[in-house]
Amino acid sequence: MAGPVQASHLAPLLEVRGLAFDYGGVQAVQDCSFDVSNGGITALIGGNGAGKTTSVLSVSGARRARKGHIRFDGADILGLPAHEVVERGLALVPEGRLVFEQLSVHENLLIAGHTARSRRRLKDNLDYVYDRFPRLQERRQQNAGSLSGGEQQMLAIGRGLMTSPKLLILDEPSLGLSPILVSTIFRLIRDLHNDGISILLVEQNLHQALAIADYAYVLEKGRVVQSGTGHELLNDPKVKEAYLGVA
Amino acid sequence: MTLFLQTTLNGLMLGGIYALAAVGFSLIFGVIGIVNLTHGVFVIAGAYLALLFYTELGLDPLLSMLPVGALLFAVGWVYQRTIIDWAISRASVEASLVVTFGMAMILRNLLQLWFGPDVQTITPFYSFFSISLGPFRVDMVRLVALGSSMVLLLGLTLLLARTHFGRAMRAVAQQPLAAALSGLNVKRIHAMTFGVSAALAGASGAIIGIVQPFSAASEVAWTLNAFMVVVLGGVGSPAGALVGGLLLGLINSYTAQYFGPALTQAAMFLVLVLMLLLRPTGLLGNPYGESR
Repeated sequence: MAGPVQASHLAPLLEVRGLAFDYGGVQAVQDCSFDVSNGGITALIGGNGAGKTTSVLSVSGARRARKGHIRFDGADILGLPAHEVVERGLALVPEGRLVFEQLSVHENLLIAGHTARSRRRLKDNLDYVYDRFPRLQERRQQNAGSLSGGEQQMLAIGRGLMTSPKLLILDEPSLGLSPILVSTIFRLIRDLHNDGISILLVEQNLHQALAIADYAYVLEKGRVVQSGTGHELLNDPKVKEAYLGVA
Repeated sequence: MTLFLQTTLNGLMLGGIYALAAVGFSLIFGVIGIVNLTHGVFVIAGAYLALLFYTELGLDPLLSMLPVGALLFAVGWVYQRTIIDWAISRASVEASLVVTFGMAMILRNLLQLWFGPDVQTITPFYSFFSISLGPFRVDMVRLVALGSSMVLLLGLTLLLARTHFGRAMRAVAQQPLAAALSGLNVKRIHAMTFGVSAALAGASGAIIGIVQPFSAASEVAWTLNAFMVVVLGGVGSPAGALVGGLLLGLINSYTAQYFGPALTQAAMFLVLVLMLLLRPTGLLGNPYGESR
């Protein structure tokens, strides 16, 4: 592949080039490159162990990549610790939600709302999240651990939104949710996008991910093996065969 | 009956001090997952500092809790930022056990070198006052010590429940990765936690100095006490430390009264073993989540 094609005419918000990461000698990501457009929905798809989660953990600063370049919003962010990446306006909603179970819903949100970047907008952000997720408003005093899987996912997304992100990365937001909830989550992703937040969506749920993505990358064994608009990939015979279970 | 109630009263007062001396140990274990075997040194260092403030400046030990706490906060912060962090990042959280054990030995001997091996006490003017409540007698110092312990434990509870720093400590305890992704500087929170823990230990040392004789060698007993309190009460919350501390105080006091002072250690260990067998999470469980 001769470098990734840009998803839109706008300058990319996030540029990842030649990213490499290994867990104690086992290559999880090698030479991975992709762009996330400003104002769009970009998808990173692929099977289990393709290196999607490791890639976004590296981008967010939670893992230190061995090689590569990561540019976000015009600045190099490779090597910055996670809490400083958040201050630049990049929020990762991690796989498995990882809500603070013994804290109340409200406390979960308050914690993330306290970054230097978002502190002054704390009240507006709270209103925005509670408005987007009335369910969380109803349960604001409950412990996060007592929420259902879908509600925990909403809380995890809400927590990400509290940091006032320019780019929200969602790692497997539909994992383990019922089909109805999956549709709710995808509708929500569209709403957030319409509110002006750029989205990077990591998914195994290819149909729905490709349906809402402007542009998508297919990862296999830690490399980008294919890319195209969501529509192109949905109709691509190779993608169909490998991931969608249609010959 | 009067004897029993008097023994209970003594036990509870002693227990309040145990609770304060242990709460920092419990905090570090709950938030960072480290068994800090240097904890007793912080307690005894606090007692020595209070003694210095008293003999050199005439500062009352209860007032000296503030400067002693501040000094030990700094010590705890630096300790975590250097030795503890090096041990964890180069080896593992478990490795810190050996490191804190070694540091405790070094620091105990340094204290002995500076202050001598003699047993010390701090004796402010109210040391010999006592109050009579009907048939019961309460030593003034113990009452004051218990009161100070309660105030500090309440303060810590409010800090944890009501402030951003407190919420941050709880969040880091439960989900360090998500905490970092939410914009918390996890390393900084760890250092602050060590600082707060050492400050509370130092403050308890200032109190212990007026209630009990101490020497550098007694740091071992205070680390052990802290460990017991955590096993009895559960990890990570001031309430757990309070319950564990009071229980330990009662066990001590009853054993000393009814079976002889020589058996207090044996009784403590017996209860420790029973507790680990029957309810390993402690009476109040682990309010910081079962992530560890």
